[in-house]
This record gives sequence, structure tokens and C-alpha cells, in this order.
Amino acid sequence: MRISGFEYHAPASLDEALGILSHLGPEARPLAGGTDLIPQMKHGLRPGCLVWLGNLAELKGLTWNRDEVRIGALTLHADLAGDRELQSRLPVLARAISLIGSWQIRNTATLGGNLCNASPAADSAGPLMALGSSVVLAGPGGEEEMPLGLFFQGPGETALRPGQLLKEVKVPLPHGPSAGCYLKLMRKKAVDLALLGVAVQASADESGSRLRSLSIGLGGLAPTPIRAGKAEAVLAGLSLDQARKALDQAVDLACGEISPIDDVRATASYRRTVARVYLGRGLNTVLDRLAGKEGEGLS
Amino acid sequence: MNNPAASAPQERHRVVLEITVNGRPERLEIEPRQTLLEVLRDGLGLMGAKEGCGSGKCGACTVLLEGRPINSCILLAVQAQGAEVTTIEGLAKNGRPHPLQQAFVDKGAIQCGFCTPGMILTAKALLDKNPDPGPEEIEEHLSGNLCRCTGYSKIVEAVLSAAEEMKGGRS
Repeated sequence: MRISGFEYHAPASLDEALGILSHLGPEARPLAGGTDLIPQMKHGLRPGCLVWLGNLAELKGLTWNRDEVRIGALTLHADLAGDRELQSRLPVLARAISLIGSWQIRNTATLGGNLCNASPAADSAGPLMALGSSVVLAGPGGEEEMPLGLFFQGPGETALRPGQLLKEVKVPLPHGPSAGCYLKLMRKKAVDLALLGVAVQASADESGSRLRSLSIGLGGLAPTPIRAGKAEAVLAGLSLDQARKALDQAVDLACGEISPIDDVRATASYRRTVARVYLGRGLNTVLDRLAGKEGEGLS
Repeated sequence: MNNPAASAPQERHRVVLEITVNGRPERLEIEPRQTLLEVLRDGLGLMGAKEGCGSGKCGACTVLLEGRPINSCILLAVQAQGAEVTTIEGLAKNGRPHPLQQAFVDKGAIQCGFCTPGMILTAKALLDKNPDPGPEEIEEHLSGNLCRCTGYSKIVEAVLSAAEEMKGGRS
């Protein structure tokens, strides 16, 4: 399994990288961690040029502001999963990322790579969607920002235009009481792609007894990661008790919003069945957590 | 600098790779398409890291990059430019095996041995991060290293025993 030759560039800055990409055109592939790209090249993918982004220090790490955290596209999964502040402030995201691949993969693979691959089942995507994240794209014409939901356009397809790079992800920070939960269905206990992933994020008003917002991000259940907007709408603004009573209805609505497929890893019908169970479990867990109960020891 | 010519490559070009392997600075001319595993084995003759699946799933090729376990079969060597790499060959000190190596022998955590270098290096990175992990934490961290012989129990025992040994400060 040898890789075919290619032209190699290692720019030292974002500006230089963008210059090289626009000069080389569609033949050039950006290389971040490479944990998806290199195996594909071993199986015959032959990009003419690789532009390694590993020297772009400005695209690495987290910046905490009052209302949001900005995550550089080249931040390693291991650095996100192990970040204490992320664990405590956005546990739904830290948890989901800790379940990506193996430790070895998380030490190499980047958040930006996970998103740009645009797998419908990407573990980071559902939680980021539920948190209302947006992405910043950098290109020859400057920067543009868009909601993550618009970034994903289909399996393996994003809104990135030739010459553009994903620069960072902006995640709004919840204020007041909040709770999150990520449930991932795998065929084994670890190191597997998600058959499906359910992310639930909710925040309560100051009294802690009424939902201010609740959002559901789903992976592996549609051609792109999606939000279950109809289910969210019936729960918004309810007291925690009312939300519990409306839970079955919310799960029904969410199940009407998904369109899972049969593939080598699971059937659509199995995904549909487990999605129902995980949605109920995820919603219950988040309501329990908001009410100060630990939520069945789930993550 | 917005000038692509500044880092313009040559056709089928070679690049100079400078890395530190097991504490020794190395300078090699390589092709950008070579993986770190190929450079370690074919370029430096370090045969400890193995190619199992070749696609980052089995962990037999695990080495430490800046102290962190990675799959060297799916990492281009140029991605390790300037970095510090540790292979299994770098663990023994003064002719004495590392406590993890000794524990793997003592506990029968080795059968065919193909997974062992990767297994030990991942375990070492874990113990460097947390000198006192429980069995679950060990299993979790070793989940990217497959073993088809031992059934894993003895491997977890060996890591626990090495952790104990290392806490005693005897090595």
C-alpha cells in the first residue's frame, strides 16, 4: 500500500496557504491530520498536490470570549477532548470528540478535518449543530461566516469553494443553567464510526425550572448532520415538567425529520429504531441534568 | 508572503526531513509520499513499529510523536518535520528493559509479539499522562491497539503491574 507521488507544499502561514491553493487550483488538496486522506491515497486516490497545513499555528487552539469559544480548524481532537474548560462548559462537545476514533487518531486528526470530510455521521457535527455553531471560511476574497448547517451540503460535500479553507468554528456559550448529552451508537465499545449520534443541548431560565432553549443535533440519520427543528419547537419554553410530558411527541416529530439509509454498517430500519430510543434517552437525560439529577449515568 | 514560488516543489522531488528519533537527531532525504513508518523501518532500520492494517485501525505501527501515540502508517513523514519521535527501540535504558517491557514479559502479555511495540508505547504515553490508571482507563486508551493472541487481560495486568513498579521508583 504505497502512496503515489505528489507535489508537496508546506506553507508557513494562512496567507501563504491560500496563495498556494489559488495558484494550484483544484489539483491541490489541503492536508491537515490526514487520517482520512492518507488511507484514501493508499487506496488509489491521487491528488496532484498536497498542501500541508500543520505549520499554520494561527489555526490551532481555543479562544474563549464572553459569548463564544472560537476553535481553530487545526485543533487536534485529543486537545479538545482533554480540555478542562471545554469539558466543563460544553460537555456535549468534549464527550462526542472523546469518542472519535482511537487515541492515536485523536492525536493526529483535527476538528476542521472532521467537518470538511462532511461525513453525515461525524461525531463533532451533531453537538456543534445543537450548540448553534458557525464556521469561518477563509479564501482569496477574504473571510465569510455561515451557520454550520449551511456548510454541510451532502455526504462528503461542503460549501467550501475552490481555494477556500475552513479557518475556525465559533461556538456560542450557554449562559445560566445548561446541560448536554451525546449518545453514540457503535458496533463495538470503542474505535468505530457512529451508526448514529444524538446530541441534545438545553438551557433553563434563571429559576432553573423552565426551558429557555433545547436543541437536537443528529448524525448518521440524514444526508448531512441535521437539527430536529420540529421536535425542538414543541419543547421550547416549556417547564421541565411540561417538557417531560411532551417528550413522546417530540421524539415522534424528530423521527419524522430523519431519513436514515441502509449501508454496510446498519440498516435504515435499525437506525430508525435506535434513533427513537436514543432520542428519548438523550432528552430525558438532559431534563434530569437540568433538574439537578445525574441522568442515569449516561454521557 | 503570498508567493507560491517561495515553496515551489520540483517534480518527484525529495525533501530533507529533520527529526529526533529516540533522542538522536536524524537528517534524511525522503520523498513526501513516504509515511513515517516507512522512514523509520526502511530509512533508519528501526523494525519495532509494524505495518498491520496499513490504514490506522490496528495500532501495530504506533510510535510516540512528541510523547503522544500516533499511527505512523497513515502519517506522512513530512508531518513529523522537526518533531521528536520515540519508538520501542528507545525505551530500554543502559541495557535494561523499561518496566513496561519487563512487565509484558513477566505477565505473559506477549504471544506472537506483533502488536507489542505499539501496545507498550501507547501504555507508556498513558502512564506518562497518568501514573496510576485503573483497568478501565487502560482499556480505553489501548482500544486503538489490536491484539489477536492474548485476549487483552494479561496486557491490562502488565500495565497495572508496570505502573505499580514505576511508582515504587525502582526504575
